[in-house]
Amino acid sequence: MNIATNKAVLISIKNLKDKLRHWQYLFFSLIFPIMFTLMFYFIFGHEQDPTGRTYFDYGFPGMIIYAIGIGTMNAAIMFANEKSSGMLTRLDTMPTGRKNLFLGALISESLFLMLQIIIMFIIGYGFLGLYYEGPLELIFGFLIAVLFGISSVGMGIIIASVSKNVQVATAFSLLVFMILIFLSGSLMPFESSIVYFTPPYWAKQIYLQLTVLGHGLTDNLYSSSLIGAGAESIPITLLGGLLIIFIYTIVFILLGILIFQRKTKF
Amino acid sequence: MSTLDDSAIIEIKDFKKNFKGVQAVNGISLEIKRGELFSILGPNGAGKTTLLRMLTGVLTPTSGDAIIKGHSILTGKKKIVKIIGVCPQDITIYEVLRAEENVEFVANIHGIPRKEAKEKAKKLLEQFGIAGRKDWSKHFSGGMQRRLNLAMALVFEPEILFLDEPTAGLDPQARRLVWDYILNLKNKGLTILLMTHDMVEADSLSDQIAIIDHGKVIVQGTPTELKEKYGSDNILEISFCEQQDLEMVKNNIREISFVRTWKEINTNGRNTLLIAFQGGLKSLVKIIQKGLLESIGEIENMKFRQNSLEDVFLNLTGRRLRD
Repeated sequence: MNIATNKAVLISIKNLKDKLRHWQYLFFSLIFPIMFTLMFYFIFGHEQDPTGRTYFDYGFPGMIIYAIGIGTMNAAIMFANEKSSGMLTRLDTMPTGRKNLFLGALISESLFLMLQIIIMFIIGYGFLGLYYEGPLELIFGFLIAVLFGISSVGMGIIIASVSKNVQVATAFSLLVFMILIFLSGSLMPFESSIVYFTPPYWAKQIYLQLTVLGHGLTDNLYSSSLIGAGAESIPITLLGGLLIIFIYTIVFILLGILIFQRKTKF
Repeated sequence: MSTLDDSAIIEIKDFKKNFKGVQAVNGISLEIKRGELFSILGPNGAGKTTLLRMLTGVLTPTSGDAIIKGHSILTGKKKIVKIIGVCPQDITIYEVLRAEENVEFVANIHGIPRKEAKEKAKKLLEQFGIAGRKDWSKHFSGGMQRRLNLAMALVFEPEILFLDEPTAGLDPQARRLVWDYILNLKNKGLTILLMTHDMVEADSLSDQIAIIDHGKVIVQGTPTELKEKYGSDNILEISFCEQQDLEMVKNNIREISFVRTWKEINTNGRNTLLIAFQGGLKSLVKIIQKGLLESIGEIENMKFRQNSLEDVFLNLTGRRLRD
């Protein structure tokens, strides 16, 4: 691959430089989740259940989903900025192609998400010594988090499409993200069937059951039921849940691209 | 040396653009020759930027078409964007990228290999006086950002350059630098379409000018043609120390054919003569030679106001360009 001529890669490199040079991005994407995690750890990290695990062992998957969900804001801000700064229009007068623009954004966001997850893993499993089943489960959990992160990017693109400027996109995405996180029961239990309509619930629940509860990757993936909002089993397996996250991701990305194109092509 | 030839590189055919009932561009047809610097002159809101956006494929015309180097903007946008450079009116740069990074990014997008892009960017930024800056572009002055804005449109050596108010907000020195650079590009044979509301800019740079108002071309021609045909007379204002000198000059200029009229006024106690005449600077020199130099003593003050494109616009529309 000729890196100089692969436009999607060029755009993703530019996006990453842009992200890494904005302290606001770095604070909200990397520092803030760490602060939040440490705060939760000091509050819930010492009470153990009969199996010897702390409440925070069960809560950490929700923290990871929270950190990754910030991707909604990042994507919304990035696309809204391209739109309102005139750069999108300028790129339209170059042999760029919107396809490369979206692909480049997906590459840069995915890489940034991976960086976020790795940092969260280092903090949680490295420094705080939180419980996990095994390395294979952790790798699988990593991939689930990335998939959920990409769905968040899709939602961010939708928000950027309908926002007039960066300020509106920032506020709107923060609102949507916080509502989704709390309605999903990712940070604290929420006994309502509303949780099933939120992508973070599925991501957090599969991650939790695989990496902490030990519903392993072999036959359990097809047979283990997901645990619902009221701590009861629901008739959807882990694999079924994965499919739901996958569908959410595809729908959000496609919808994001479609709405963005409609709102920015005249 | 200019490579101006007779073939049209841009043909605009009855372009129209309607925004929710507002006719921003209302049937513009133009031909721009290869190697020509063609200016679209008009007040704010005349439809210049909309026209430019349609030509560069950002906006789709409501009706009409434009053929750029043989490609229709309706069907051949992918080929057109490879040969055009666009410098937008607003400064459109990546603020947290350095100047080189911004220019190299555009070069890479146009398929220029990384090493070559680096060299081209460096050379171009040196010409614009912004090479070697290691800080982010957001820390640059307005003039430097505008020059960077232009450099980004030029790094891949486009065949056609679209400039939308390239010197807006620049100080006179920076403006002159950009003008010199534009003239240099024109001399190298680049076709340039300049959108401007600055009549001095249009007058001093253009081969051809189309004046537009309310989305329509109201007149087209060379700057000289437009001023001669639609402009006003040039005015020479001379204040004399002695009334007899004024009378002497009045008698002398009666015999000069291109002097249309004259008027005697008294300004702040000074004897002043206003002479309206046709033609350019050559006529001015003749008036001075025949009317003044051979016969009079001392002149207190002399002012010359040349017929300008502002007069052309005023005479054609009844409004000033800045209104």
